[in-house]
Amino acid sequence: MQSRDRYRIALLSAYAIALHGFESLLPTPIPWLRLGLANIITLVALLLYGFRTAMMVTLIRIIIASIFRGTFLGPAFILSFGGGVSSTIAMGLAYKISRNLFGPVGLSLIGAVSHNIAQLALAYVLFIQRIEAVLIISPVILLIGTLSGVTNGLVSDFLIRNILKKNGDKFQDLARE
Amino acid sequence: MRRRVLKEDLRLKKIIKNITLADWTLFLVLLVVSVAGIFITKEALPRGTDVTIEINGEPAYTFPLNVDRTIPVSGPYGDTLIEIKSGRARIREAHCPNRVCVKQGWVSKGVIICLPNKILVFVGSGGGDKSGKEIDAVTG
Repeated sequence: MQSRDRYRIALLSAYAIALHGFESLLPTPIPWLRLGLANIITLVALLLYGFRTAMMVTLIRIIIASIFRGTFLGPAFILSFGGGVSSTIAMGLAYKISRNLFGPVGLSLIGAVSHNIAQLALAYVLFIQRIEAVLIISPVILLIGTLSGVTNGLVSDFLIRNILKKNGDKFQDLARE
Repeated sequence: MRRRVLKEDLRLKKIIKNITLADWTLFLVLLVVSVAGIFITKEALPRGTDVTIEINGEPAYTFPLNVDRTIPVSGPYGDTLIEIKSGRARIREAHCPNRVCVKQGWVSKGVIICLPNKILVFVGSGGGDKSGKEIDAVTG
């Protein structure tokens, strides 16, 4: 790993942790509502620097943020970890398989949905073990995930555009697409 | 001034253009599926007649919904108070970090889950509780 990559991962992780922390401070009307703002950073990392960087940033963010909040290795951490890793993998796969089919918004939606599905599956297997409970709550979670996924996708799109505009010469391969 | 507005306009146009047809399709499909899902689950589940309290994934108590009472349940974070009143149930008091369960309030149908205390309050009809049994045995 080059030192430039390390610097980049550290910076992106710092942004992601800050967003993650900020998000947990926001009051929400529904207790389980999470906006997934940190996914913006994961998506930007994926599109600009590739899958490895995105995965590193996700792992660092989840582990460090959970240590800050005191939930490391607890139930909330397991859910967060499963959701984060699976959404990064899903976005990476979707981007690799269909390079031009989905824009940032579509990728963000894919990430949000796989995050939700992974969390519901984990919660079902590990904690709830009652299919009715999962079925009742899953459409609500999916709806919230869709709306926040679109918002995050638009923000990511905006960010990527501005980064490319500012230092376009550094991303020659992307600019040509 | 005018130039700035134009530039802003152009930028917005670029953003909108970058949303592909696949993005729109995915968004609409998800929206329809989730909204339909909310209605389907609401319709499919009958109104509850009793309350089942599960601790550590095992059914511990079952109470009828029409008898008011308060049940203390002890867990890793101390005592949790579950209240049944006029056909609804809620977690009145808990000592877990987030108190998500308390904030959820009254439930007349569905579940209240407290992950830290591993308590699950299920408001449903008597026949429905047997379905999860086999899975309980595997993980428990």
